[in-house]
Amino acid sequence: MSQEAGQGDKKGHSVLLRKGSSNKMALKEKIVQIYEAFFQGEDPSAGNPNFWDELFLLKVNTTFIETECEKLSGEGLLSLKENFNLMFYKAVETLKQDNSIRTANAVHTLCALVRGIYKKTLKDYGFDVINILIGFDSAETVIQSLIESVNRFLNGDYPVALKQLILKFLLVLASVTDNISQNTLLEYILINSVYESLIQILANPVSRQTLGVDAILVLTLLVQYRKYESANPYIVKLSILDDELALTGYAEVVSVALSDFNRDYKIRSSEQQTGWFSTLANMVGNMFVAEEKEVAAVRANDSVLLALYEAIHLNRNFITALTHAHTPSIPSTPPSSPTPDNSPVEDKQVNPLENSQAPIEPAHQPTNLLVTFLEYSSVVIQDTKEQTRYNNARLCLIILTCIAEDQYANSLMHDINMNFRVPLHRMPMRHRKAKFEASPPSRPLVCALLDLMVEFIMSHLMKTMPLELYTRCLGICHRVLCYQKKCRVRLQYPWKNLWTALINLLKFILSHENHLVKRANIFHICSKIVNIFNLFITYGDTFLPNPSSYDELYYEIIRMHQVFDNLYSMALRYTTSEGDHKESAARLTNHLINVRAIVNHFTPKVDSWAANNHLSSLTEEQVLEVVRASYDTLTLKLQDSLDQFERYTEKPNESAFFTQLVRSIITDVRKSVSEINIDQQTILQEVSPMPPTP
Amino acid sequence: MARNYSSEGDLVTTQPNSVNKGCIFSLSTGNMGNGAEPGASEVNGNYKIGDACSGDMYRFKTSSLKTGSRVSFADLDGDGNLIKTCSESELDIDPNISSLNFGRSLSYSAIERTKNTELLTHVCAKTKPYDTHSLSSLDRLSTSPIQEEVAEMCEQINGEESELEQNDTESLDEPSEQILHSSHSVSPPRTVTKGKPPLPNGKSKHRPGSGKQSSWLLRLFESKMFDMSIAISYLFNSKEPGVQTYLANKMFSFVEHEVDFYLPQLLNMYIHMHDVAEAVHPYVVHRCRSSVEFSVKCVWLLSAFSADVLKPTWKTSQGLKLRNMILNEELSHHSHSHKHGHRRNQSHHITSNSPLNHSMNNTLSPSGKKTHTRSRSDATGIYIKQSNSHSTSTLHNYACGDLASGRAFDNGCLCYQSSEGVKNGLTGREMNCNCGAPRLTPQIEFIKALMSIGTRLQQLPTKELRGSRLMAELAMLNLNLPARVWLPTAQFDHHVVRIPHTQSVVLNSKEKAPYLIYVEVLECENSLTSQVPNKILENTLRYTRSEEDLATFYHHGNTSPRDFSVYGSMTDFDDADCWSQEDDEIIQLHLSMKSIKSCDSISQFSIESSTSGDSKDPVYIAAGDIRRRLSENISAPKGKFERDPEDPSAAALKEPWEDKVQRIRESSPYGHLHNWRLMSVIVKCGDDLRQELMVYQVLKQLQTFWELEHVPLWIRPYNIVVTSNNSGMIEPVLNAVSLHQIKKHSKMTLLQYFEHEFGPQNSEEFLTAQKNFVQSCAGYCLVCYLMQVKDRHNGNILLDSEGHIIHIDFGFILSTSPGKNLGFENSAFKLTHEFAEVMGGEGSDMFEYFKILILQGLIVSRKHMDKIIPLVEIMQTGSQLQCFSKGISTIRALKDRFHLTSTEEQLQLLVDNMVESSLNSLTTKLYDGFQYFTNGIL
Repeated sequence: MSQEAGQGDKKGHSVLLRKGSSNKMALKEKIVQIYEAFFQGEDPSAGNPNFWDELFLLKVNTTFIETECEKLSGEGLLSLKENFNLMFYKAVETLKQDNSIRTANAVHTLCALVRGIYKKTLKDYGFDVINILIGFDSAETVIQSLIESVNRFLNGDYPVALKQLILKFLLVLASVTDNISQNTLLEYILINSVYESLIQILANPVSRQTLGVDAILVLTLLVQYRKYESANPYIVKLSILDDELALTGYAEVVSVALSDFNRDYKIRSSEQQTGWFSTLANMVGNMFVAEEKEVAAVRANDSVLLALYEAIHLNRNFITALTHAHTPSIPSTPPSSPTPDNSPVEDKQVNPLENSQAPIEPAHQPTNLLVTFLEYSSVVIQDTKEQTRYNNARLCLIILTCIAEDQYANSLMHDINMNFRVPLHRMPMRHRKAKFEASPPSRPLVCALLDLMVEFIMSHLMKTMPLELYTRCLGICHRVLCYQKKCRVRLQYPWKNLWTALINLLKFILSHENHLVKRANIFHICSKIVNIFNLFITYGDTFLPNPSSYDELYYEIIRMHQVFDNLYSMALRYTTSEGDHKESAARLTNHLINVRAIVNHFTPKVDSWAANNHLSSLTEEQVLEVVRASYDTLTLKLQDSLDQFERYTEKPNESAFFTQLVRSIITDVRKSVSEINIDQQTILQEVSPMPPTP
Repeated sequence: MARNYSSEGDLVTTQPNSVNKGCIFSLSTGNMGNGAEPGASEVNGNYKIGDACSGDMYRFKTSSLKTGSRVSFADLDGDGNLIKTCSESELDIDPNISSLNFGRSLSYSAIERTKNTELLTHVCAKTKPYDTHSLSSLDRLSTSPIQEEVAEMCEQINGEESELEQNDTESLDEPSEQILHSSHSVSPPRTVTKGKPPLPNGKSKHRPGSGKQSSWLLRLFESKMFDMSIAISYLFNSKEPGVQTYLANKMFSFVEHEVDFYLPQLLNMYIHMHDVAEAVHPYVVHRCRSSVEFSVKCVWLLSAFSADVLKPTWKTSQGLKLRNMILNEELSHHSHSHKHGHRRNQSHHITSNSPLNHSMNNTLSPSGKKTHTRSRSDATGIYIKQSNSHSTSTLHNYACGDLASGRAFDNGCLCYQSSEGVKNGLTGREMNCNCGAPRLTPQIEFIKALMSIGTRLQQLPTKELRGSRLMAELAMLNLNLPARVWLPTAQFDHHVVRIPHTQSVVLNSKEKAPYLIYVEVLECENSLTSQVPNKILENTLRYTRSEEDLATFYHHGNTSPRDFSVYGSMTDFDDADCWSQEDDEIIQLHLSMKSIKSCDSISQFSIESSTSGDSKDPVYIAAGDIRRRLSENISAPKGKFERDPEDPSAAALKEPWEDKVQRIRESSPYGHLHNWRLMSVIVKCGDDLRQELMVYQVLKQLQTFWELEHVPLWIRPYNIVVTSNNSGMIEPVLNAVSLHQIKKHSKMTLLQYFEHEFGPQNSEEFLTAQKNFVQSCAGYCLVCYLMQVKDRHNGNILLDSEGHIIHIDFGFILSTSPGKNLGFENSAFKLTHEFAEVMGGEGSDMFEYFKILILQGLIVSRKHMDKIIPLVEIMQTGSQLQCFSKGISTIRALKDRFHLTSTEEQLQLLVDNMVESSLNSLTTKLYDGFQYFTNGIL
């Protein structure tokens, strides 16, 4: 197109812009035309002072911008730098105005530009994207102004849809590169913080319902930026956050997301269990679909879990929020449907209504994040064969490790006044049906945690056992016991379940020794198990609920003495032969001292008692009697640092896992934010004060 | 009209009927009946009214509605003389204003008291009354509102009017008349024409020679004996506005908390007795102005007792009006900073009264006169102005009441955050809010929040659901604390900082869901003016501890200064720092120090053993020791009940208070503060506590009298706060569990339980506990008899850790009893053989002592009966309470139970009979059985 033609064209469309606003077809045509002019290196705005004001009143065609960017060559992209910079700059300028339609369009334009240009550079061109997009010279000031506007929109009294759009834009910014740490654009957002606005959204009980999920997602992603290398102010700020309301809001957002998943799972599993014949047929058909759907849901929860992890890991005050109650959302009104002018007054009016429903629907009982999370974990850890689920389960166990390590979290979990019913899901296995207790007993939270661990230990005894997850699981049990020992908490818990589970685990490892020894250091795991027993044996007086439970412990050890004997002989074998495991095997034999002492001390006594009384087999009660009578002659060795554990650190061990996790979350986010183009119209409708022009 | 006191033998006050015929109205300062017969009324020989009021004879006082007029009874000197002092500055009165006030009050009193309205208007037009009574009693108080009221009064009190009080012609030689002389004046009567500036009359005047004729009633009122209890009963009994006004004025000189004790009575009269309302209105307004707590109490009591007013008429709606006035913050300090172009005291006067006048005027408008109309328009204008300014102020605190906002109890006042406020907070000086934020809202919202939790709990079916819901709700509430709120049951000033929600328990009740909460408060100088403490987060163990253990922390070795600043380490921020072990080591250190202190040496071993990891010598322990320690630990007597999900309160209540305070203090982020206190309160929702409140008052009186007369009967009145007619708060009795819980958890008889708790029967502890038991039992037997307390099952009788029994739940008293008044429990009081067993059995020394105590108690109570009966009698006025279901005969029966006419021998016989019959009462056993079968109460 010649310069003249361009001029004429411009005049033509500026005329159209002024008076032809009723002609939709022509307008659509025009915005594309304007874009075309831009992409041809022209500046249609020259000489028209109202050009930009008018342009941003037009509906943005984001796909066009993105596909045009796609078409450009590397040089083409560079040559259009001026135009991109101008467009970006003008869009940012427009954000300063208070016209919601222009604002929304400007944000859409920004999204399209950022995505279009980054998509290009992702491939093979090593351009400096910021230069093309904003221009090096002005980048700092432009982004500063952009963030100022973003904060203004997030904090101010603006339509919810606009706030949502702004958050989506932030997500677009954060998700342009696969590796978030390479996203240099974020460097500017570190300087100009959006943190306060995000926290304010979370602190507000109304806004967090509609914006909370996106807000914590933005926050979580920003926290990931160069997490291991440099000082990220978001990490610092999040770690010292002490606004109780914001923390509670954060917890509530996570809790709502997880409980939505739990509810769906419950519905699905109860559907499967209803009719016997119909479901059998359905199951075969639905299994894969349902499975896929569930995996997708699990994936979706990764980001929420990561947010939970960061909060727990970074912020100690967050622990308080773990047990703060939330009223779960009602399924019919998912949090994604915003009510634009939700004022606190309205909220208050809603409350009594909701209260009147409370007695009818027990599901509306307030729950808290920890209960929800434990239930969620019980679902996720059921099946770890699939990689997504495995990763999710791993993340759950990491979070639980952090919780079990925290003094205050432990004190909350052990508080006998804080009893909760935690519905734990159990996997159907050959010897038992899928069991879900509708109304589990109300107990301190740590009981549910221990149940969950026992359940995990028992349900993954298979050839492909996730040894790494087992290590974590044992670590959690160990941490909880250390707390109990230290603080002398006598928990009313059927410890026998744990002992049986641990002994079964030992038995399984022994029977699959040859296979497992190649995969991992089984002696290390066995040592961990044995040390848990050692804790019970030597420090049982500080945390066991009653004397008879101590007797029971001995009874279990004596009863299963063969397992320990075999373990000892296996360990001995490896200590004698040179190999990788010599040292850890030696350590294991050392750890077994007390258990062996018990076995050696009591077994002959029990046998002789049986012989004296001419009995071939003894009842439990009889054995216990012998045990009680013979304590005094038994001496135990106090082992070192039984109650010490290596504290969880993310940096060397887990960083690879988290980098990978963030990568996959970024991909998901990018996919999800690309959908915002579709509902552009609805956003415009909500945003505009008047009915939109036809 | 006149009330006759002759039965009491004290005073006779008569108000002549005939006098009033020609009189326009009787005036608030006394029986202002103006003699139509001039000259007939000579007062103290000084001068004749007739002379004074030549011609028209229209004497009036401004209506008692006027604040000022009520103060016309000034302080009196020993001889009954009025001491009048006058500060001239306050007499500089704008005639227009005063006439306006005058007119309004006139119109009001006119309608109420006279038919001769024409005369009224006439007088009104002609007279510009004023007088200069600055009363010494008020000077003493010398608070600004009072002075303003005095000033107002001065405008309205006319020199002549004060003399009117003495011209009750018929009762000249009756002592009762002498009450009225108090506002005598020597100055000759004057008729001031309108518009003429008032003449100050600044000399203090004494009227000599009145002592001889001093009235008995007045003497009583002046005597040292005179106290609030007498005042309240005469307020109730006297129909004479003069007496009422005098008493109301006298109240200004009483100690505030003495008056507060009778607040329920006072406000009940306010609601149901229009004349008393007029009389005490200024007092109530004055107190509301000066105290938020008083205002809040008034609001609650007024709404509670107004609930019985079925059809509010203009005569009975003043209670609600007052309540709304208080609630609308029309009586706050800053409301009279509104200037309307008048002088300060004027505008104050108008604002304080306008709503009431306004409404009065509305009701009275059909009979409106010129003056009347004028006053109404003025008042209305001001009223609207007021409400406007109010509504704008409420807009600012939209968050108030919204628990999710975190600022539910924040009235939006910023005064305390201002630099001046901070300065005052630091220097400990008082700071008054002057930004116009609503004063009452935080406290009212706080209590409302507690009550709404109760309502929500009621809808839940099981105790467990209720319990967890309660904790959840309280955790929510916690987000809004600390705030400028306090527990109304407390006796000291404080701010609520935290509610340890996990400690709260739901009490045993089927339908209602009363619950017990523990509340952490920080004591302060003045809950209203002191700074509200800052929020400290729950999980701040490390901050608080590390400050305290700074020395230890420092020597701990492995800390670097870097850890103290979060931002300082920005450049080399290491993720691991977040999880550095130091904090936990501090905690561990703290814990181990704590346990070393508390644990025995054996247990210490296992702690040390864990830390002695680096020692190379192997340590051996005997398994037997571990087992032994475990069983010792378990079997150690804990003095606790096991947790029972069906009865969560039992374990919570059984825990000794000291232990609980200690435990909660340790876990509280505020626990290290020196002014930290733990309190507890029972929140009842859906229950009417008005009867409880009345019983509390009666018990309190009885306790005082018994103490006064040194009879060792023991009772424990527990404080009640009524917040509406179906909600309230109760101060729990500490360290006490119900007999039912004792029986259920210990499975022993009462005597066995005593032995278990206090030792063998001849031990010191047991004997003390037994003595306590007998004394408390006697106290409560007497209470149960006098007040006819019913529903005495074992769930309603507590036993405290010293052996006292304490009766709770006074839902069935006087005329009412459970089971539709069928008289299940027809014995005088509950006395079971089990009780007698603890006392040592029938015939034992302690049992005899028990009977003697009852007798002594009864005799003492009888002596002071006239201070007990009015408490109940006044509450009966207009009451729909169940306990008054038999109307006035309830009071008569109550009086009869004091056996005024019986000799001591007869009383002794009576007590013996009552004890005997109660002990052998079949119905007591039946009722316990009934409770067991229906409610499972042992």
